[in-house]
Amino acid sequence: MSLWNWLALGGAAVVALAAVAQIRRRVTAAAAGRRFFRHPTAAAGLFVLAFVVSLALAAPLVAPYRPFVQIDITRLANHAPSAQFVLGTDPYARDVWSRLVFGARISLGIGAIAMLVAVTIGAGVGAVAGYFRRWVDMTVMRLVDVGLAMPRIFVMLMAVALWEHIALPVLVLLIGLTGWFGTSRLVRAEVLSLREREFVAAARALGAGPGRVIFRHVLPNVAAPIIVSAALGIGNVMLLEAGLSFLGMGVPSPAPSWGNMIADGWPKMAVAPWAATFPGLAISLVVMALNAVGDALRDALDPRKETL
Amino acid sequence: MTEPLLRVRDLQTYFVTEHGSGTARAVDGVSFEVQPGETLGIVGESGCGKTVTSLSILRLIPEPPGHIRPGSFIEFEGRNLLTLEPRELRAIRGNQIAMIFQEPMTSLNPVFTVGDQIAEAAIVHQHLSRRAARTRAIEMLQLVGIPDPEERVDHYPHQMSGGMRQRVMIAMALVCHPKLLIADEPTTALDVTIQAQILELLDRLQAELGMAVMLITHDLGVVAGTADRVVVMYAGQVVEQAPTAPLFARPLHPYTEGLLASVPRLDAAPASARGRLHSIPGQVPAATAWPDGCRFHPRCPYVWDRCRREEPPLLDAGGGEPGTHTVRCWLLTEPGRRTPRP
Repeated sequence: MSLWNWLALGGAAVVALAAVAQIRRRVTAAAAGRRFFRHPTAAAGLFVLAFVVSLALAAPLVAPYRPFVQIDITRLANHAPSAQFVLGTDPYARDVWSRLVFGARISLGIGAIAMLVAVTIGAGVGAVAGYFRRWVDMTVMRLVDVGLAMPRIFVMLMAVALWEHIALPVLVLLIGLTGWFGTSRLVRAEVLSLREREFVAAARALGAGPGRVIFRHVLPNVAAPIIVSAALGIGNVMLLEAGLSFLGMGVPSPAPSWGNMIADGWPKMAVAPWAATFPGLAISLVVMALNAVGDALRDALDPRKETL
Repeated sequence: MTEPLLRVRDLQTYFVTEHGSGTARAVDGVSFEVQPGETLGIVGESGCGKTVTSLSILRLIPEPPGHIRPGSFIEFEGRNLLTLEPRELRAIRGNQIAMIFQEPMTSLNPVFTVGDQIAEAAIVHQHLSRRAARTRAIEMLQLVGIPDPEERVDHYPHQMSGGMRQRVMIAMALVCHPKLLIADEPTTALDVTIQAQILELLDRLQAELGMAVMLITHDLGVVAGTADRVVVMYAGQVVEQAPTAPLFARPLHPYTEGLLASVPRLDAAPASARGRLHSIPGQVPAATAWPDGCRFHPRCPYVWDRCRREEPPLLDAGGGEPGTHTVRCWLLTEPGRRTPRP
């Protein structure tokens, strides 16, 4: 790892710190913002996320090697961490640090996009079911029950078995499409109570149609729980992706994802523990950070905690 | 008489109760008319069907459990609102007929600025651009007497007081210059000085915009000051209907009489001994089981056999054209029985 890489790494840390400070300055004007930062691990979690995101964005600067380059398969496989290879090399003689940094792009990207898909569908379906109630609600929520009853990993394995080789976008979509059931329940419950509020009647008396009432008047009031469930859900998606990749069914191998890095390093755990350990640590760190932020958001956005 | 703006005939809105144990006949055969430009007061105790009547007009009754029975008829400018398609109905709501709700605290959406909410009806009905709608919202805020409208337009409901929010509600309702404004207890949640301001505002706007107002309230003082005509409701029915002055001077239905006697007065000695305020004995019966005969008979001081057996129709009390003053009471056929009882 060259001096430039170290400088870029330091730069990423500075950017992350600055981002957290900036966010803090912006939101502490509101009571909810102060509550967020009062949470003991919120600031740390936010920093970890900001740091990992800036590393992922600056991957070509921070990583000394291309992630899929096998540097010297005869002599440099399973090389222990050193000045040249900070986190060592894996059994295929690839630099673990470089793969970790580039892998962050894929792992975080999959998490974010799949969650976006899931939350969009979940919020839409939940809102429609909760607003129209009756047979719409019955039908949709029974389908959701079925969806929740199926273990997600089996559904994914089935899909993989059917198509053998799944392209990355399809995988992301699949994860998103199997992940909205929880959100839809949450949103439905909120909408059931919101639809009885007087401002909904007022909007209808104004001549707003059902679409307008649901998406303009009701859903924005559910934003807080949706955001919280999305923050907590990204961690889940990342774990799922890691699990799938570990089973050899997620991201196809030459491209680095934290899951398939564990899968690649795992057989040589006794000889080169670093190859599987560091991506594992990265996953736990990010998932913990996401949970901390999600938790703090839940506290911050809870209107019952509103004080003067 | 000119052609009425709104004609409600034999409106029946029933609610099926939870366990199918009964049907609540919340509104049971109500008829009245609203003339263009007039203020009609609808008065009655809680649970007599005032609000259900107003919600029925805009078809905002939650279905189920509620439904408007076939045979009911609500005609607005010659069109039966009960048979309109949802799309046609939405074109009327907020545009021709607008409504103000009781609770200014909960009738505004907490996550939008008041400007957005006022502009919404203009965007929905008149397809204004966002910018034009915003200008319109500022004009409306000015019209309803909110200071600094340019600044207030970007405020959220929680940044405003109750009286200001009710002004915002009025601005929302009036954006499209409706021909009929239904105000359901617009002043109940406000304190007395703000009440007076809001009523004055409604009065002024009515004169400026030339709309008809249906003012629903349990407060006879409010009605006396603002309404041209009054409809008194009891137990889901109209029991008396008359121009305001004659009604207050000469209430004919024992219920109206009781209501007026229960209003504290500054200018007259209390009617009963020991200076106690009059109250009508008993409570409004449950809507699932209205009494037989006249629905007011269990609480009526003049009750006799006929009242328990036969339900009185709306009888004409004279005083102008037929239908000017109508009363649902057998006393009209036997005025001799109207003797004060101990």
